[in-house]
Amino acid sequence: MKTETAAATSRQDELYQAAAETYGTALERLGRGYEADPDRRRDLLQEVHLALWRSFAGFDGRCSVRTWVYRVAHNVAASHVIREHRVNSRTLIGLDAVESLPAEHDSVSAADRHAALEKLLRLIQQLKPLDRQVILSYLEGLDAASIGDITGISPGNVATKIHRIKNILGRWFHKGGSHGE
Amino acid sequence: MANETRMDMTDTWKNQPVEKVAISLDALRRKSQKLESRVVWRNLREYAASTIVIASFGYYIWKFPAPLVRLGCVLVIAGALFMVYTLHKRGAAKAVPAELAFRTCLEFHRRELERQRDLLRGVWTWYLLPFVPGLAVFLLGLYRWTMAQPNAPAHVRVIMITFALVAAGCALVFAGVGKLNQWAARRIQREIDALNALEKES
Repeated sequence: MKTETAAATSRQDELYQAAAETYGTALERLGRGYEADPDRRRDLLQEVHLALWRSFAGFDGRCSVRTWVYRVAHNVAASHVIREHRVNSRTLIGLDAVESLPAEHDSVSAADRHAALEKLLRLIQQLKPLDRQVILSYLEGLDAASIGDITGISPGNVATKIHRIKNILGRWFHKGGSHGE
Repeated sequence: MANETRMDMTDTWKNQPVEKVAISLDALRRKSQKLESRVVWRNLREYAASTIVIASFGYYIWKFPAPLVRLGCVLVIAGALFMVYTLHKRGAAKAVPAELAFRTCLEFHRRELERQRDLLRGVWTWYLLPFVPGLAVFLLGLYRWTMAQPNAPAHVRVIMITFALVAAGCALVFAGVGKLNQWAARRIQREIDALNALEKES
């Protein structure tokens, strides 16, 4: 009995360590999409890592490790957003609303990566949790099927959302300098 | 153009500098234990509030000889015990850590919202109503006991107004808490409807 428990713990540790090694940087980026404040972001990331480690005790291979990691991370982060949203009463909007907004006129050249990134983060951080999950997964380079697997949104809906994201990014982030509507 | 921009932004996104958060397994184990003890303390706090109610009304049973007051106290204590039982049951139904991965983000999000909505909607049944019969009988008993005191006839009007005000105050607080929770539950329901619509489109 004791040996079985020790083996399960060691498997849990191994799974976590491998996942943290492979997806650690992606999780850091994910954290930036959910929390702007550096201190709260550090707390959120610790919460994500803790949830991930605890979750691996029940890993049964029903989905890939990648899907598992992203589901846990997005679900923890979305709960964080909902919690913060309740405290701050900040209005979160959907991709459809962002699409109809005029592009920011102080927009920057895509060559200025730092400024472009800050602008992208501002855009992401005002999105509703599900739309945020889609855009973050898209930016991580996941395909529509994988995004659907993680979020539970149908491939057709993911495709629509990705189309919107492309439109938004196309309007907000032009190559070669300032722009607007 | 869109494709060109997409490549550029995913590249910018993936190459951003990030601060590495390194957590050792020992630190995770410590955090996990801390989390579990925090849950235990939170439950204890909730039980402590009920203990205060039970102790106070237990004292009134001893303090007031009037049977109606005593019956009210017993009913309030029963209401508090029912609330503790509901809280305990709710706590026991907490999700296991792996559920974070078993459910897709859509399911998880909806389930969280439904849990919050049901809790808010059910405030009347598990938090407010269990106390109503007890408090009503207690106040009625206390009113009759006060009116039976030798010096009561000289202060009938004051006693009646005081009791009316206390009863109205209790009713207002209960109705206010109930209304606020119903309003919040309706707001959450709208979010759930939006998620359901999104799923139906799937």
